Amino acid sequence: MTTVATNATDRPLARVSRTARAMLRPAELYLLFLVLLIVAGPWVAPFSAYDFNASASLLGPSWVHPFGTDEFGRDILSRVLVGARPTLLPAFAAATLGIAAGTVTGLVCGLFGGRVDELIMRSMDILLSFPALILAMLIVTMMGSSIVNLVLAMSLIFWPRSARLIRSAALEIGKREFIEACRARGESLGFILFREMLPNLRSVVIIDLALRSSYAILLSASLAYLGMGAQTPTPAWGLMVKEGQQFIQFAPWLTVFPCLVVAVIATGTVLIGESVRQRFAISTRLAR
Amino acid sequence: MIPQRHEIRQAGVENAVLAIENLSITYGKGSEAVHAVRGVTLSIAPGEAYGLIGESGSGKSTVAFSCMGHVAGGEIETGSIKLKGENLLRLSPAGWQSVRGNRVAMVYQDPMNALNPAFKLGAQVAEALIRHRNMTRKDALARAVELFRQVRLPDPENLAQRYPHQISGGQQQRVVIAMAIACEAELLIMDEPTTGLDITTEAHILDLIADLRKRLGMAILFISHNLRVVAQVCDRVGVLYAGQMVEEGPASEVLRRARHPYTMGLNNSLLPIDGAVKRLNPIPGSLPDLRNVPGGCIFAARCAYATPQCKDAVPAIQVVGSRHVSRCIFNEILPLAERAAETRKRFGPEESVPPQLSVVDLDFSYARPSLALPFLNRKEQSKALDRVTLAIRPGETLGIVGESGSGKSTLARCIAGLRAPTGGSVRMEGQRLEPLAGQRSRDARKRVQIVFQNPDSALNPMRTVGEIVSRPIGLYGNASGPEVAKRTAELLEMVNLSERYLTRFPRELSGGEKQRVNIARALAADPDIIICDEPTSALDISVQAAVLNTLIDLRAKRGVAYIFITHDLGVVRYIADRVAVMYSGSVLETGPVREVFANPGHAYTEMLLSAMPRGERHARHAPEEIVSRARPVQGQGCPFADRCLRYLGQECDAVTPPLRLGRNGHMVSCHIPLRT
Repeated sequence: MTTVATNATDRPLARVSRTARAMLRPAELYLLFLVLLIVAGPWVAPFSAYDFNASASLLGPSWVHPFGTDEFGRDILSRVLVGARPTLLPAFAAATLGIAAGTVTGLVCGLFGGRVDELIMRSMDILLSFPALILAMLIVTMMGSSIVNLVLAMSLIFWPRSARLIRSAALEIGKREFIEACRARGESLGFILFREMLPNLRSVVIIDLALRSSYAILLSASLAYLGMGAQTPTPAWGLMVKEGQQFIQFAPWLTVFPCLVVAVIATGTVLIGESVRQRFAISTRLAR
Repeated sequence: MIPQRHEIRQAGVENAVLAIENLSITYGKGSEAVHAVRGVTLSIAPGEAYGLIGESGSGKSTVAFSCMGHVAGGEIETGSIKLKGENLLRLSPAGWQSVRGNRVAMVYQDPMNALNPAFKLGAQVAEALIRHRNMTRKDALARAVELFRQVRLPDPENLAQRYPHQISGGQQQRVVIAMAIACEAELLIMDEPTTGLDITTEAHILDLIADLRKRLGMAILFISHNLRVVAQVCDRVGVLYAGQMVEEGPASEVLRRARHPYTMGLNNSLLPIDGAVKRLNPIPGSLPDLRNVPGGCIFAARCAYATPQCKDAVPAIQVVGSRHVSRCIFNEILPLAERAAETRKRFGPEESVPPQLSVVDLDFSYARPSLALPFLNRKEQSKALDRVTLAIRPGETLGIVGESGSGKSTLARCIAGLRAPTGGSVRMEGQRLEPLAGQRSRDARKRVQIVFQNPDSALNPMRTVGEIVSRPIGLYGNASGPEVAKRTAELLEMVNLSERYLTRFPRELSGGEKQRVNIARALAADPDIIICDEPTSALDISVQAAVLNTLIDLRAKRGVAYIFITHDLGVVRYIADRVAVMYSGSVLETGPVREVFANPGHAYTEMLLSAMPRGERHARHAPEEIVSRARPVQGQGCPFADRCLRYLGQECDAVTPPLRLGRNGHMVSCHIPLRT
């Protein structure tokens, strides 16, 4: 029955990639929205995110200030818009960096297997045995609370998790005979890892990136809330929640709106990750 | 007692065990509908063995599974399947439960998948008895042991307490057969029961099937792509093509005097039994798209005898002999294609030519890698290769045969530099090569290429055929710039693929086409030696014939030498100039093909030869099995001592056998001198 699917004249993939593209459309729109938020957030903000305005302190949501104002009279909406950059950029940077490291590690484990794999994966297990948040806090506390350190600390959390996922897929690819063919030809390590193996793991890496990004956003907000990374007066979302919580009884909008934004963006990223995953599930099923 | 073949009563539908009538099965809907089975009619008399043959995708397994009530995703459009007159297709799901495993039992192709790895073997067989025969657990287990004895498993009591992974593939298949005969089913369906097994194991299983038939008298539906195996087991065969029965008749007659051009094509793809060096004449093309089958004769597009009137209407079934029918408009005996008689010259250099590549005292041991206790595993080392010495001259084809586990693939990988041998060396024109490909010079790597067994896993699914084939050209600097594209197209042409394939992905190719791409990639390096590691074992016989033809043509054109690794002696006899027989990591016998096949010097070689299927009932007898002798200790005495029919005693167990020399470089490692 398989001979039918491989019939030369028709290309079932062409047809499927159209549906796949349709499924990707919300994902693309959402991605565009995030990029706009990061790039243009400060420009579209109606008020300054930093300047005090004593006459407008702690105002509830209104037409002028949809999210209300804080104790210094700063517009919450403007602060949320400006805060996208310090919250999301480290998150995405850390997810990308962590997964890049995880991908290389996973590919190496998958290709060599045996002792190399054992050694690397046990080291990854050591990293995994630390609770994520505590490990990140420890590193930032030790190395200083700069953005670079924050990103490094977060990517260190993603690295072993991603490595484990990519490795499991890479092990299967590494056993195939075309990899042996590469070795017999004397291809370089880089060629085997990145030109032969990586394309076969493309879907796994992209799905991992999408799903881990949402966790990165939560992590970035949590660390900011705990006082790591961005410092006052930067309007990072986690930091806004922290500063607003002292007024939570009579001015809840200070905490509610930043929390809501984190929740919405993180959930959206998960959903997009899921739709990308489904899209790849369809195309890999056909590739079999 | 089963009736003799020529005495079988006309299988009237009334007393038939199984009667399939006008069965049509379709997968999918509308224009996407795949008509997998179209109007198949067959009947099996009590005690009869009926063989169903055809290429993969011809629908033979679909027919078999429909008799078990499994048509997942498919729809039975028309027809009936009657078991002793009862229409199975009208059964409710509960009704099916009392049929499956009880009245109809099935033996699957892969015994490892048919057995549940989490249950003991005895309990698995007992399960069916408890379910269908209301036996108590204790009785069922006792009966299971009895069944194990019937299928000639050694030490049945002990075996019942073991798990599937603890026994060999042949033993697993025996357990599956024991399970199938447990309830004394009226019909036994066997779906390629010996395809994954070694040749000697296959001979034993076929013997067992014949024996069980004699004793139990059950009807058998036997499915296989191997005509010779079918002819050996079955009374009658049906030939399926694209879901349609094209020929049916007595087994020996269909194999020898096929009337339908498709069956003739299948027969022409078989390797000659007598070892003649004639060119194979496989069927061109591939199965039609079952979604959109052309009108008229379904085979017309690939048929050498097709005339315009073949396309007018589906040919009616014609009686062409005693109980022999064919679905072809030609009622006279068609002339055998003349091309089939075309002979081919044996090729091979003179004895005196110095070897191009030689393997000297090659050892390879597996040691289980472990970080924790590396020093404790010393004892668990097992030798996959034991002092293997071989030589191959320029342009020669060296066949390496052996059962699975004989170390032949490890040898291929050591030569190609994929595994580092633990002792000995690989030499190219006398120069010692580095153990791993990465350490060898570019020139040394270029000169030895490898074609892998599994066409699916040997090609990167994310690369086009063009990219795959052109990579070695660039890597070894055989051409550059626009030259590369030209070379790539030439290479594809050499393996009989058109330029249209350049932009295709492996998933768009059939198994045979993938294997051709594999060969083209090996050729792209412009090598002196190509190692072929079972290149045709995953392919249909007609495709195998075409791939073998391609390899032979390339040898004539390019003067390339092959190291051809296979478990199929027929292939070796057909393609190789010299042969080396491997067993348990050692070369037991080597020499010119003609010499070794005519005058085998080693008991093992003799055993392999006698196990070869010859396409006749009772023509081969499985060599008797010896179970009493202890396994030889590795590195001591003869590795074959425990199974040898010419066992001499102590000497064989303790002393490494000497090398006996015969004519034309015929060498045997045995205590018994060569007959001359």
